Amino acid sequence: MNDEAILERLQEIMADVFDEDDLVVTRDTTAEDVEEWDSLSHIRLMVAIEREFNVKFTNAEIESLESVGDLVDKLKAKTS
Amino acid sequence: MTSPAMGNLSGYPETQALVRDVLDVWPDHEDYLARSMGARSDGQMATTEEVAAATRRLIAGRERHFAEGYKWTCDQLRQEELFFHREGRYRLATFADAEAEVYSRPEYMEPYVSGLLLTQALWYNHLGTFDMFLDRVLRPTREPFDYLEIGPGHGLAVFFAAQHPHVRSVAAWDVSATSLAETRKALDTLGVSKPVDLTEVDILSAAEPDQQYDLIVISEVLEHLEQPQTAVRFLKTALKPGGRLFVNVPINSPSPDHIYLFSTPDEVSALVEAAGLTIEASELYATQARPIEKAIKNRISVSVGLTARAA
Repeated sequence: MNDEAILERLQEIMADVFDEDDLVVTRDTTAEDVEEWDSLSHIRLMVAIEREFNVKFTNAEIESLESVGDLVDKLKAKTS
Repeated sequence: MTSPAMGNLSGYPETQALVRDVLDVWPDHEDYLARSMGARSDGQMATTEEVAAATRRLIAGRERHFAEGYKWTCDQLRQEELFFHREGRYRLATFADAEAEVYSRPEYMEPYVSGLLLTQALWYNHLGTFDMFLDRVLRPTREPFDYLEIGPGHGLAVFFAAQHPHVRSVAAWDVSATSLAETRKALDTLGVSKPVDLTEVDILSAAEPDQQYDLIVISEVLEHLEQPQTAVRFLKTALKPGGRLFVNVPINSPSPDHIYLFSTPDEVSALVEAAGLTIEASELYATQARPIEKAIKNRISVSVGLTARAA
């Protein structure tokens, strides 16, 4: 799966988790840029991504993955 | 404190000091607390200040220790949150499991209980239901009343009840003698002069009570029980005719020792009504003041406060 395809699916998941239908994310988007992206919603986001991509994150990954670019790279590695 | 949202704490010195105690240990928690505080009404801030003042008396001289316990507790809760959203259930399901993993382990209980004390003022949902109790249940009471609390913990609700001008008697029950000893210590620290009768009682197996009460409070207890319906049915027998029960219970709220999952506010109401009580008021407070509908849809913790009356 290429970056663009992953990004598109991530955007859909994030729009759903953060309840922001018109959310637009890029590789540069971080938790700082999205008001609803806090420590609580981060966990729901990670679990939603796990389901969508059929992967599992370690606790350390969950703690550290706080930018969309990092998420794309991690998902690329886990699904290739 | 640099966040503009913290600006609204300037008239609330006790709250400000409590927040500072936590941020000294956990600076990254500032945004969370700014949102929690920024969402509160003037009335809720007044209650926050009262709760923060009592809390600071309880933690005096050990502020850092309690703040570390709070951070540790939040770390544990994040793990439970992860399990809950992955599996759709609480990790533990029986009291025996909770006893083995949490209650019987002082090295776990100590930071956990310390942390939970601070959540009372710091978490929007916890403060929301406490404000309901204080402002809409306890303080408007105009007739003499006998008060009973189940699971008094750090004794904050008992502390406020004991100061009420019309309170006739104050009692609290807990299944654990250790917890009751902690409550007694807290009440002494808070300077409660009115006699408070603390008794070891298991409401899941207790005989018919020999005294009845005008106001019974059960806050953050039902989710720790395998059969909360049995507890509420029993409490109805402990209410005088016309007496009130105040229930505070969180839904979708994973915690190391939460074993009974309420998924919707309606499940809580149904439980209370099934015991033969009539609900008079109900209020909902989501974590971080999230909109209630979204919180329920996304399975974010919501504290349910309700008052019910015996016929």
